[in-house]
Amino acid sequence: MNALLQQFLSESRDFLQGISEKLMQLEEDPSSTDLMAELFRFVHTLKGNSGLFDFPEMTRVLHASEDLMDFVRHGDVEYSQELADQLLEGMDFVSMLLDEIETTGEISSDHADVSDQIAKQIRALIAAHNADAADEQTVQANPQLIEADKAQDAQTSPAVNLMLPESVAFDLFRRALTQGETFIWLVYSPEAECFFKGEDPFYLARQIPQVVWRSVAVSDVPVLAEMDAYCCQLIFQTVTTCHLAELKELFRYIPEQVQFDVISPLSFICPAGHHDGGALVHENFVDDAYALIDKRDTQGLIRLINTLLELSGAELWSSSVLRWLKLVLELMPQHVAVLTALLDALQTGNLPDWQAIADRAGVENEEERVNQTAAVAIVDNFYDGDILEESAAELSLEVDEPELDEPDDNVMTQITETSSTPAANASQDPPVDPQALANQNAALAAIVAAQREILQLSNNCSWLAGRLKGVASALRGCCEALHKTLEAEELEAALTQALEQKSSAPLLLWLDDYYPPAYVEPVDEIKPAQTHAKTAAVTVDTVPATKDKVAAAVHHPADLTDAAKTMRADDPHVSASKTLKVDQEKIDHLMNLIGEMVVAKNALPYLATRAEAVFGVRELSREIKAQYAVINRVAEEMQDTIMQVRMMPVSFILQRFPRMVRDISRKLGKDIHLVLEGENTKADKNIIEALADPLVHIVRNSLDHGLETPDVRVAAQKTAQGRLTIRASQESDRVLIEIIDDGRGIDPDIIKNKAYEKGLIDEATLERISDQEAINLVFMPGFSTADVISDLSGRGVGMDVVRTAVEKVNGSVSIDSQLGKGTRLSLSLPLSMAVTNVMIIESNNQIFGVPMDMVVETVRVPRSQISTIKQQKTTVLRGKIVPLLSLNELLAQDVEQVANEDDELATLIVRVYGENVGVLVDNFRETVDIILKPMTGILGGLSGYSGAALLGDGSVLMVLNPRELI
Amino acid sequence: MTIEYTNSTAIFSDSVSVEEADGLLDWIMKNPKGKVDLTQCQHLHAANLQVLLVAKMPILALPEDHGLRIWFNAATEVSLTEVKKTAV
Repeated sequence: MNALLQQFLSESRDFLQGISEKLMQLEEDPSSTDLMAELFRFVHTLKGNSGLFDFPEMTRVLHASEDLMDFVRHGDVEYSQELADQLLEGMDFVSMLLDEIETTGEISSDHADVSDQIAKQIRALIAAHNADAADEQTVQANPQLIEADKAQDAQTSPAVNLMLPESVAFDLFRRALTQGETFIWLVYSPEAECFFKGEDPFYLARQIPQVVWRSVAVSDVPVLAEMDAYCCQLIFQTVTTCHLAELKELFRYIPEQVQFDVISPLSFICPAGHHDGGALVHENFVDDAYALIDKRDTQGLIRLINTLLELSGAELWSSSVLRWLKLVLELMPQHVAVLTALLDALQTGNLPDWQAIADRAGVENEEERVNQTAAVAIVDNFYDGDILEESAAELSLEVDEPELDEPDDNVMTQITETSSTPAANASQDPPVDPQALANQNAALAAIVAAQREILQLSNNCSWLAGRLKGVASALRGCCEALHKTLEAEELEAALTQALEQKSSAPLLLWLDDYYPPAYVEPVDEIKPAQTHAKTAAVTVDTVPATKDKVAAAVHHPADLTDAAKTMRADDPHVSASKTLKVDQEKIDHLMNLIGEMVVAKNALPYLATRAEAVFGVRELSREIKAQYAVINRVAEEMQDTIMQVRMMPVSFILQRFPRMVRDISRKLGKDIHLVLEGENTKADKNIIEALADPLVHIVRNSLDHGLETPDVRVAAQKTAQGRLTIRASQESDRVLIEIIDDGRGIDPDIIKNKAYEKGLIDEATLERISDQEAINLVFMPGFSTADVISDLSGRGVGMDVVRTAVEKVNGSVSIDSQLGKGTRLSLSLPLSMAVTNVMIIESNNQIFGVPMDMVVETVRVPRSQISTIKQQKTTVLRGKIVPLLSLNELLAQDVEQVANEDDELATLIVRVYGENVGVLVDNFRETVDIILKPMTGILGGLSGYSGAALLGDGSVLMVLNPRELI
Repeated sequence: MTIEYTNSTAIFSDSVSVEEADGLLDWIMKNPKGKVDLTQCQHLHAANLQVLLVAKMPILALPEDHGLRIWFNAATEVSLTEVKKTAV
């Protein structure tokens, strides 16, 4: 994964977080324009960033969101819960895509549909608004959206009004009927400002595969003098035989700007010409024609038509109808409905509704299928997408003439003879000459190259078989045209093999045998052009001239959308960030290095002492000490700074809660107001991260068990809206986090009984323990009050997990609760884990560290004051019995603790789980700040030690973990 | 520069980028009787195509690149028959 993508991922996560945060804030204050503007900017930037990569699915959803936010921002659409839901859903989708990118490096195109759907839902909110406010201005403000809607509608209705030249229509109609080809009508209307987005619509249009007819035009042609060269008004129209999926893939970035329709063969019948004159003649003709149709006298009718055609002008609309009539007679004489419809058209001068007729014809086909010729049956067959079937014929023709005549097609020549349209005449092929031969060779090369490319595509697709057949048939066509029967036979064998193996390899082999890759050369010339076009497209943004155009577009009075859209370019950009994102690993590494530096520096005083004591060089000793002072200062500053770097505001984990509380409270039907306090309190990153999971548990607990539904609250004379406060604060070197709810509180009796039922406490304890102690029972492993396990809580692991997680980072957790009033959970955590203050103690000639935060006091207890109760040494300290444990015993060393001259034993009073315990050691030493390294490997399993550290003299200090030890 | 302007002809070559469109439009306005030579042109950005279409520029020579040429054939044909935006 490249660095840019990585940065995109991390930034996008931030943006998504920001977006959901702003949405939450907006829910509080829907009228805030600042929030709205900020939200818009987030979405806008995120969309822009996603556009840098090939993630159209993501960009589409973001684009829709951006448009929606733009409307909201300008007050055209009102902010609502529904809207927030929709946007959040969109953002969740984007977040899911980000996850996928992170794991796989790309987005699978399976998401295209979902993406489209979400984008549509979001756009629907804009559209719904437009429907509501039917005033002219709004409609003007977003004609594109409306147009897009129209396009959507149109896509569902297959009736297309084709504007093909008659000769092309004739040919396609014939191909559709006789060869069963499927044609797709594609209209691509790039949006007006597409040039500013680095798009090249023409380039895209040129990528449409297997085009059999194409046109490009400019919609409402402007006066040249007033023309804006950078306002796109082009419309591309093509008829292609490629698969719908290919087109969708090609236009996946801009599905709203294209319209595809599968053309029903009858739709080709679209006569064109002048409407005046000849009506009288027609009436007689129509009557005669009907009679001939009744008699099924096709030949007679054709003669009649020929006669009439000679009489009337070729430019007339009616003549065009007659020509169509003749073609229909030739290709599908059984279709009386089509014939009569054309005759009717002659009389009325209106085009018949082919859709209705096609439907009827389809039914007829079902009935007559047995008797029908294959050609006619194809009418209802046109959804069969056999790709590439005709590409051989098509490509060879494209070289010379756009009209695509088949040179060998006798029937076509007949038509061109009888019909006298100039276009048809023009399309007649010249006799074979050297130029044509060269063209033929070029075409063959193009075909072979195209097939090779297709074969080199991945084999993992459901339509592989169709593709292979398509390629084979294209190549077969070539072989036949060149009269190479031997090759054709081998091709068939290769095809069968390929189909069996479900792989294109056999066909590729065949291709390599007969048409080695060098054959492809002529086609490759196109490639540099494509690369050029791409670079051109990319440079658009950097050209200063285009900026002016954007400004000009704003002043263009005719196009309000233009103005609205380009305004975005003027949005204040996020000021150049002074923040540097650094990988955490690097910081950790730096911290380790600084730690080692601190330790190494501590060796200098030893050195100074040695210099004086051993070598007797006093001067040197003094200099070393002076240097040490400097290094010490710098090292401490470094340590301090690196700690600061690692500090993160608590808001990092708190920011997820508004969304979570909102979702859960909705799900539970509760009305809960979340208050976050002290979000700027900072603590070490590791601490903050360790907090995340416990906090989620606690908040879920509060939401599920603590806070009541509004009606219960009202019945208990509380406000209907519950209140959940998460407060972070700093207390000397600790962070305090409190989660306070004003819910029903914890009933100690229920806890006691539950704990007893589950066998966590015995009967005696049940009677004895205080309410507070009872409440603390919730931290016991396996404890749960809920009878039913829900997806929120009740598995009996919650609070236990919380305590374990908090203690892992040397934190503590406490709970207090008042029945009916609410519950408060307090987490206390160290600010930083990096430096630990330990007291060094001596026992059995070894030194150990004990974390200072556990040490209550150090006392020397005279041996005489130690008494033994039930084999447990104890002493009375300020009127309280304190149990005494020998460290040597704890560490399984069979040595007595050493007392001092006055026969007093050094006793370290530590606080473990709220109780004071005395640990007997040999001697106390100083306290030091150390960088505690957790034990790894085999030593990691020794829970009695929390880690080890290096001391200034290079020795290793083992740090005890009294909690586990005792 | 991928468009070379002479007194009466704009000669396109290689791949004509979007930035050229502005200059092309200026040149056409100054030389209303100008013509274009596309022989060496491999591709031109849609903005240039649009300028040529709107100005109905007489094309002196079609591109050698056949993929581009068929589009120009189609484009000129459309301007001849004046096919307007298809109502769909």
